[in-house]
Amino acid sequence: MPGMEEHVEEYLSAYVLGSLDEVESQQVARHLQGCADCRRALAQYEQLVSALALGLPQIEPPSELRGRILAAAARARPIETTTRPGLRQLLQAAFGQLSPGWALVGLALILLLAFNNLLLWQQVAELQHRTAALQSALRIASLTGTENAPHAVGTLVISLTGEYGVLVVDGLPPLDAEHQYQLWLIVDGQRANGGVFSVNEEGYGALYVSSPAPLSSYQALGVTVEPAGGSPGPTGAKVLGGEL
Amino acid sequence: MRRTANGDETALGLLYDRYGRLVFSVAYHVLNDQTLAEETTQEVFLRVWQKADSYHPEQGRLAPWLASIARRRAIDLYRHRQRSIENHLTDKPVEDAFDLADPEDVENEAQAAEQRRRVRQALAALPEVQRQALAYAFFRGYSHSQIAALTGEPLGTVKTRIRLAMLKLRDLLSDELEEAR
Repeated sequence: MPGMEEHVEEYLSAYVLGSLDEVESQQVARHLQGCADCRRALAQYEQLVSALALGLPQIEPPSELRGRILAAAARARPIETTTRPGLRQLLQAAFGQLSPGWALVGLALILLLAFNNLLLWQQVAELQHRTAALQSALRIASLTGTENAPHAVGTLVISLTGEYGVLVVDGLPPLDAEHQYQLWLIVDGQRANGGVFSVNEEGYGALYVSSPAPLSSYQALGVTVEPAGGSPGPTGAKVLGGEL
Repeated sequence: MRRTANGDETALGLLYDRYGRLVFSVAYHVLNDQTLAEETTQEVFLRVWQKADSYHPEQGRLAPWLASIARRRAIDLYRHRQRSIENHLTDKPVEDAFDLADPEDVENEAQAAEQRRRVRQALAALPEVQRQALAYAFFRGYSHSQIAALTGEPLGTVKTRIRLAMLKLRDLLSDELEEAR
């Protein structure tokens, strides 16, 4: 049985897994309040449990799940259980910090970097001043609208390693429920799927892009209209195009 | 700002694009049921979005944090629905849930796939009885006493196996753990 004074290292792995009984669990929790060494050890075991969860084989969820979650979020009433800023508030703060000129590129940069923790969340609000410097450190591709969508624009920001990017688009007409936009990554005439996305009624949308080959290995980008869920190859009207 | 109202859903959509599969996969491995895994995934994203689970920077990267939440919510859902899914046909018993063969990984990012390979290797390096005891704790959240009752092993044996399994994994995966910080 762990006591307040004795270190609880040997109970920590079970504590993190949830395998201690109620009494032991409370005693470990009390000890942790006063012991920085054991809290450090706890953090390591927590990271280990996370690493095991992250290490499980990945399984693709059904494509309808994304839309269902967004619809549920739009309907849901907010739950205020803490006073700390939640993820949503932090992202709102990020959006709100952008001056109009930087809106598209800056947003993509913020989301890309923040998601990959190259920035701490607290620094997100300062990003506006650094955007110009960061822009030169990352590859950015611009997309322009075709005659099918003359007012559309898009920006793809590619990460330092080239393995992923964020596409942000503006000015694309919203599609009906049977259709979505699809991003194509083009090299040597071959088109690879970059993902599907929808836009809101203002024509604004964003997509996290990852692909088997580094994004920087592609030569060009295109966005077409496709059946909801996407197609193996482009079938619909092209709305955006650009070069990498 | 004209985007604020719908900017929320766009940002949530981005969050899902990045982490949806990860959350779903953790839930699926716990529950072995697509519908329940979807339910868990929706719950996790809504909770995060509505601030019920608050992320703050000291918690490190988003991915490990979300993976832990996914595991806990999936275990909670399993407990809640246990009566209705007791007879559910699963691919394999939970004690073998950490026997991970090299899968056809649905994975684009080479670094993430490599890290997963290292986790699989580390798990495979454990003695089978340690891996099985750990699987009970990890995928079901069972207490030592519950595992002892389920397996018929002495309580002390169960405690030791789990503790040694975690110590060994912490050792083998120390690079991953350092990177996370």
